[in-house]
Amino acid sequence: MLRALMGLLLLAALMPRPAPADAAAPRFVTVPGGQLVSSLLDGTRTVTVQMAPFAMLEEPVTEAQFAAFLRAHPEWQRGHIAVLFAGPNYLASWLTPTDPGDAQAARRPVTDVSWFAARAYCDSLQAELPSWYQWEYAAAASSSNRDARANMARRNAILAALMHVTGQRPGLIGQRPANVYGLRDLNRLIWEWVSDYGAMFPDVNGDVGSAGSGSVLRLCGGAALAFRDPSDYALAERVAALSMLAPADSSPFVGFRCVRKPGDSP
Amino acid sequence: MRSMIVLLCGTLLGACTLVAAAASAPSSLPATSIYRIPPLTLMNQNGQTFTFASLAGKPRLLGMFYASCQMACPVEIETLKQVEHQVVKAGGQPIPVLLVTFDPAHDDLAALKKAAAQHHVSAPEFQLSRALSGDIGMLGGVLGVSWRPLPGGGFQHNVVVALLDRAGRIIATDPANGRADPAFVAAIVREERAAH
Amino acid sequence: MKRILATAITLAIGCAALASNAHASPLPAGWTCTPALCGAPQGKPIVEQLLPPPEVPAPITRHYPAKVIVNLEAREVVGTLADGVKYDFYTFNGTVPGPMIRVRVGDTVEIRLKNAHSDHMPHNIDLHAVMGTGGGAANSIVIPGHEGAFEFKALHAGFFVYHCAMAPAAVHIANGMYGAIMVEPADGLPKVDKEFYVMQGEFYTQGAYMQPGLQSLDMTKLLDEQPTYVVFNGRVGSLTGEHALHAKEGQTVRFFFANGGPNLTSSFHMIGGIWNTVWPWGGSNEDHNVQTISVPPGGAVIADMKLVVPGTFMLVDHAAVRMFNKGALGQLVVSGPEQPTLYRALWNRPFAPAGAMPAAASSAH
Ligand SMILES: [Cu+2]
Repeated sequence: MLRALMGLLLLAALMPRPAPADAAAPRFVTVPGGQLVSSLLDGTRTVTVQMAPFAMLEEPVTEAQFAAFLRAHPEWQRGHIAVLFAGPNYLASWLTPTDPGDAQAARRPVTDVSWFAARAYCDSLQAELPSWYQWEYAAAASSSNRDARANMARRNAILAALMHVTGQRPGLIGQRPANVYGLRDLNRLIWEWVSDYGAMFPDVNGDVGSAGSGSVLRLCGGAALAFRDPSDYALAERVAALSMLAPADSSPFVGFRCVRKPGDSP
Repeated sequence: MRSMIVLLCGTLLGACTLVAAAASAPSSLPATSIYRIPPLTLMNQNGQTFTFASLAGKPRLLGMFYASCQMACPVEIETLKQVEHQVVKAGGQPIPVLLVTFDPAHDDLAALKKAAAQHHVSAPEFQLSRALSGDIGMLGGVLGVSWRPLPGGGFQHNVVVALLDRAGRIIATDPANGRADPAFVAAIVREERAAH
Repeated sequence: MKRILATAITLAIGCAALASNAHASPLPAGWTCTPALCGAPQGKPIVEQLLPPPEVPAPITRHYPAKVIVNLEAREVVGTLADGVKYDFYTFNGTVPGPMIRVRVGDTVEIRLKNAHSDHMPHNIDLHAVMGTGGGAANSIVIPGHEGAFEFKALHAGFFVYHCAMAPAAVHIANGMYGAIMVEPADGLPKVDKEFYVMQGEFYTQGAYMQPGLQSLDMTKLLDEQPTYVVFNGRVGSLTGEHALHAKEGQTVRFFFANGGPNLTSSFHMIGGIWNTVWPWGGSNEDHNVQTISVPPGGAVIADMKLVVPGTFMLVDHAAVRMFNKGALGQLVVSGPEQPTLYRALWNRPFAPAGAMPAAASSAH
């Protein structure tokens, strides 16, 4: 009986399913290569990275897109997902394991997903999570400038947007203009998982702390040593929020987007 | 994180049995088994290929490394050799070791062979391996190993070696940083006895 | 030689701590743990009753060390900074400051910190009453939807600040994430009639002072240490008008006053009063007849005043722009009969310009 049920489940998983009408197909945008001076120090040294071009999802993955993924991959649904890959908060606010119960699901970034699940979603698009440098490089751009990070008014506005706590769910995608690459909502809507978030900071011994340990960020003053510009509070908040998470954790304000090699068909 | 994984396994063990097994994972494995990660095919320094999940059945040590690593990884391997030595001294059996590289782009068969020869380790007891297919990021995630390529070459990374029980649950972890920790050695001997 | 000296000092300190009437001792009896004072916790664990500011938990009457459990929750809330002005606060238990904690020297204190599911940020707690890495901060980081706990022994009596130390700490503190803990000496503090808990803190908003609507943190103002608001207990008017503090003539009141900062040192003063007794820095030394007390960010004071005349007394940061233009103002309304021998009005009338002879004076010649 159980076996039959499992078989049925498996069959259901293998059946091709059209994405529901409200889940827009994920769209990748090409980000040209260039040079990034990272906000994260390597010890005490400034790091300059030569970035190869890459393709990045235009917007954060939406609830509707993630729901479509879950229907096709039931092993990542709440209740089915292995406990190694998700904690009890995983998609906990969803109405059902595949329904966010949100009329705005097509425009709301998915959050409350673990790093593992985000990774699996990207894998389903033959893509992956961006590295920190890729995210940072993409997010440095404003609608008029490829590196707008030094703009204090912009920093202030980003921090202000991140501080607003008026609702349980993050706001909707697409309320602001895209940046020069055509990417949207990198800075002000949510925090986003990156592939190497666990290795962003060396700990006090110069070793890398493991994900979720927060390493130097654990201590009040420690964070001042980790950033090239410690006064970029919006960035520090983002990095702190990410680095405290274990990969199985999820948070109501952490979503993600994917990257892949440029030129792959959409 | 290291302790968190152990904690997770510990506290959720009761609930684990309630969680339906993912379709791809062998149904006999407990829900907290590390062998439940999406399929991973590996190749060792002798060119032998095997699936990661096929390693279930015996306690073993599992870690990650990369071959061109100058400091942390050579120390990791040498520490594990010491641990083996201490386990035998304490009346245990040599425990199989599997290290998986997180630099598959450079660590081909020749690189694995060379690293194994340098450290005088040989398969199947001490396997240095690379993934042929599958996502090693998932392995790093459940193990608590993080890495980040540095622009100047090499990686920023940490070292975690996990003692897995027969079913692939993490029983203990060690930073393998030059000293064979007696508590880790004792945990291995205990686990070997329990497995008999 | 060094070792002998150290031993001698240790002995001397130990003796001083044990002597019950040591005069002007650097370590008054009962303010610091000794083996006799601070043995293993006794009795059932006590769950601390937490009250919103300006309320103060009751003084401790216990004469033995106990285990005390403190339940805190990090909550990010939209609250009122002034009439018509809203702000995104980071709080302990939903109030600025977080509730005052009160324990006895030698107590074993278990701090439990939850982080609300709806929060964005990880938070933690650093208590200045703790001897331990980061004051507990390193072991209390919790992401939204998680809870953590750590335990410490209250080795030193005093009045201490606690705050969130999560990176970037300046932001968490600037958003209101602080509170205070009183570790009572073994025999308690002298009895008073009323106790109040007040914390000063600055807010840096994008809008000008009293500009209505939801205000956001202004990073530039914060970096320049140029606050828009300097307030008591998290908002303009928290202790004025209908929220004014009340006491009666003849009573002695005690202020547990602490400064969350993040940046400004307070010049704590009661307009129309002199502090009879203060414990400057919140430590064991007593001082008397003090007008204004300097309270640095992350610092605290205990200040007692006997109220001998009726009236409305203003609690201020005496840095005058802060009280007039930024909100650092509270009121203590003292009721009771006038005491003309202590204070009375005499006259208020026009007087003649210099050089002009008063009429009454010239007629006397
Ligand atoms: Cu905080």
